[in-house]
Amino acid sequence: MSRVRRVTAGFLALALVLTVVAIIGCGRSSGGKVLKIGVVGPETGGSAQLGQAQHRAIQIACDEVNAGRLAGEWKLEAYFEDDEGNPTKSASVTNKLLQERKVHVLIGAINSSCTLADIVHTQRAGIPQITAGSTGASITEQGNKWIFRTAVNDELQAEALIAYAKDTLGIKKISTLTAADDYGQSGANLLKASAEKSGLELVAAATYNGGDKDFKPQLLSMKEKGTEGIFMWGIYTEAALIAKQARLLDINCQLFGASGMASTKLIELGGDAVQGMILTQSFLPESDQQRAKDFVDKYRQKHNENPIPHAAQAYDTVYILADAVKRCDSTAPEALRDAIAKTSGLQLVTGSPKFNKKGDDVGKRVLITRIDSGAFTLVKAIVVGE
Amino acid sequence: MDVSAFRMRRARWCAVVSVLVVPFIVPNSYYLHLINLIGIQTLVVIGLNILSGYTGQISMGQAGYFAVGTYTSSLLMMRLGLSFWVSSIAAAIASVACGIVIAIPALRLSGPYLVMATVGFGEIIRLVLVNWVPVTRGAAGLTGIPAPSLVSIPIVSERGFYYLILATVSAGVFIAVRLSRSKIGRTFAAIREDELAAESMGVPVDIYKVAAFAISAAYAGVAGAIYGSFAGVASPDNFTFDDSVAFLCMSVVGGNRSVWGALVGTVALTFFSEALRFLQSYRLILYGVILLSTAIFMPQGLSGLGPLAGAWLSRCAHSRGGRGRLWRGGEKRGA
Amino acid sequence: MQYLINGLPIGAIYALVALGYSLIYASAGVLNWSQGDMVMLGAYIGYSLHRIAGWNFILSLLCSMISVAVVGAAVKRTVLSTLRARSAPPINVVIGTLGVAIICRNIALGVWGPDAQPFPSPVGSSPIQIGNLRIVGQDTLIVLTGIGLMLLLQYFLKFTREGKALRAVAQDRMAAALMGIDPELSDTLAFATSAAMGAAAGILIAPLFFVTFNMGAGIGLKGFVAAVVGGLGNIPGAIAGGFFLGIIESVAGGRISSGYRDAISFAVLIVVLWLRPSGLFSRTVEDKV
Repeated sequence: MSRVRRVTAGFLALALVLTVVAIIGCGRSSGGKVLKIGVVGPETGGSAQLGQAQHRAIQIACDEVNAGRLAGEWKLEAYFEDDEGNPTKSASVTNKLLQERKVHVLIGAINSSCTLADIVHTQRAGIPQITAGSTGASITEQGNKWIFRTAVNDELQAEALIAYAKDTLGIKKISTLTAADDYGQSGANLLKASAEKSGLELVAAATYNGGDKDFKPQLLSMKEKGTEGIFMWGIYTEAALIAKQARLLDINCQLFGASGMASTKLIELGGDAVQGMILTQSFLPESDQQRAKDFVDKYRQKHNENPIPHAAQAYDTVYILADAVKRCDSTAPEALRDAIAKTSGLQLVTGSPKFNKKGDDVGKRVLITRIDSGAFTLVKAIVVGE
Repeated sequence: MDVSAFRMRRARWCAVVSVLVVPFIVPNSYYLHLINLIGIQTLVVIGLNILSGYTGQISMGQAGYFAVGTYTSSLLMMRLGLSFWVSSIAAAIASVACGIVIAIPALRLSGPYLVMATVGFGEIIRLVLVNWVPVTRGAAGLTGIPAPSLVSIPIVSERGFYYLILATVSAGVFIAVRLSRSKIGRTFAAIREDELAAESMGVPVDIYKVAAFAISAAYAGVAGAIYGSFAGVASPDNFTFDDSVAFLCMSVVGGNRSVWGALVGTVALTFFSEALRFLQSYRLILYGVILLSTAIFMPQGLSGLGPLAGAWLSRCAHSRGGRGRLWRGGEKRGA
Repeated sequence: MQYLINGLPIGAIYALVALGYSLIYASAGVLNWSQGDMVMLGAYIGYSLHRIAGWNFILSLLCSMISVAVVGAAVKRTVLSTLRARSAPPINVVIGTLGVAIICRNIALGVWGPDAQPFPSPVGSSPIQIGNLRIVGQDTLIVLTGIGLMLLLQYFLKFTREGKALRAVAQDRMAAALMGIDPELSDTLAFATSAAMGAAAGILIAPLFFVTFNMGAGIGLKGFVAAVVGGLGNIPGAIAGGFFLGIIESVAGGRISSGYRDAISFAVLIVVLWLRPSGLFSRTVEDKV
């Protein structure tokens, strides 16, 4: 080949490489006003039902917002990644979303250990992160201004449950049966603190590992100690099993639970055993609120089942983001973060979001509900202040 | 000097230089993050290879030593303010202690019984981490694990960690290779091939087996220490039985007889795990298929392809035989 | 005492799973990591037949056992036979069956979804009171069916030609081959029978534990522990080991600490292995030669 030809060929090759790099490097910038949302959740693995619910709800919300132009000129684009409930993988996919997709905001994760792992990277990159499902206390205790949480407040739930037990049901001796993970352990601590404050006696505090199937040893032990109320803190699969096994052992005292297990699946799996159980949650599928009804209907239409609270929380999170981007009209991280922090006046499915200085949503509704005749019925709605 | 030796030298220098400039040629720090993760995992797997490949003892509890390394180093840094370097050494020592603790009952065990004991041990460690709340903060885990600092310059970026991990892995590889070529290494191989014969030759088999456990624990402990500062957070969820299984898979898929096998296996499995993400939920099915296929079609692991590739390359290049595998142990197949 | 009674049904389940591991180990000398997922498949197939298609319980149980047995045989053919042909080290069988386990688990996730499914108990759930002990219908069903299956297995092994062939292969593979027995066929039979046992365990436990795609992992591991405690390859040992583990878990969980319950089980396991490496209930101590 002649010299000229070789040089041209080299030049063209270089140009080609540079173009390819440029295209890859810029990410999928579709031009125009697009808010890129990265979503991290466990779509496989032990918490798959939570991650998949989050995925579906976010997809529904994004489609709604885009179709109805509810974010002004802005369009929402969601990118979903599965973290399998593993913190190492969660950090990896967070990195991928941040660096490859160049998302402007991250919704994630669900398991507290994964959220904590992800925060390290969103904080480093200076990108806002909202978790719609993690309730671990340390998430908002680190003085990190980039993290927000729209999961319903566990402390309020614990207090509400204990107060109800004491004031309305006159219970004096309680026991807790909680999951040995972050969610359960923090619940156990909150319940214990609340019980001490209210003067209730905690006769037993037992734990179980996720995936455990046999709770009779713990239940028998509690029965021997004379508990009048068993407070559970975990997800619905184990809660249903616990309720059933309690009945089998002739333990008929009042059962209590929190939002993590509040799902129609709990009723389906628990059957008679969970009738009369008291739960706190932020969302009721049978709500007569129009917004909630619409969401439930749409979710049912697409997926043939009622949405769980995590789904409702994720759905609302998208609306918070849509509102924020509409207000600040930019995807610059600082502006976006400030806009999210100033959220107010929205009436969403799980309440009216309002973030405090730590990033927690204090506008979440806390409802005390009871399972009656196969459905959740509202007993009392707690109004939340600052 | 003759041509082929010169070529080898040049190839080696090219390799060294390209490894050193990696952080500057990757498109973004996500890839660097993955590479760093692969590096940390490779360390653990090298240790595992020493245990299972060299001496033939199978362990499904490496995540336990890894956890001990992470928690020891992180807690020492956070509670006592010790430096990363001191804490890592302490972490390695703690892991070695654990390795010895499990090695002693394991001396009498073989095959599936040994596997069971290591599984049990890994689980016990995890449960202690979850339940010993005052020290380990239980399931909530540790947050804000400090970064290492080199002469008061903190290492926080992916790039910084890359060089730290590169240095550590290089040292690990160097040690492992020297070990395999030394008398100790040959003794390990002898134990793997025929324990009884080795014993009757006067080899104190028990001591060597415990040593193998201790060494593999040390590798995992150091890797754990680095991981703690790298991730910034640690919780029992990082060190489950599934993680031990993953390490074992990397070891077997790569080929557990050689050091390069550790690297190949880790890279291959991490690559598949990440590259297949577009398949969404079918991803794990394919992952299982890959595991199955590798086990069936490549019993010596992917690095077993090494000598084949090496021989092919050498035929192409008309020079003396390729480097092939590093390990020159016996070719006899396992029982 | 109630703790003891409660440990029985879970012990029976562990025993059934442990039998699977021991049977395969005795005959083929390998560890089948997918045994736990046979339990899961059995539960799901039973669920689809009984709950969705509306077949009656016994029919669903039988069909499920047969289908999963076919799966077990398939696993043997694809994994073990090929690995044997290539003289691969035993660790590869573990990895290979692990691959099978991952595949099964995620196919189940794809087909049946991530939610737990309820399984109605064929015997109702009101307990009977005997003295100060409570006995539940489903628990009794599990224990009785479990024991029934174990007796059936013993009968099969002792009195049928295929069963005796299996035992011969387990004792001395080469000699059995010389006597005209096909060891490969025996192995396939072992895999199929183990899978069927697992499937039965899955359906029996489903009303109590619900059906989830990852139910196999935990039960598989515990079953393996039980098999090792009883002595791998030792059939009566597996049964004893299963019940032993079930009862220990129940007592330890209730009396000592629920959080450390699993840790206690594993600690017991390690102690047992240390003191009696070939299992608690083995007749002979394994020789290294």
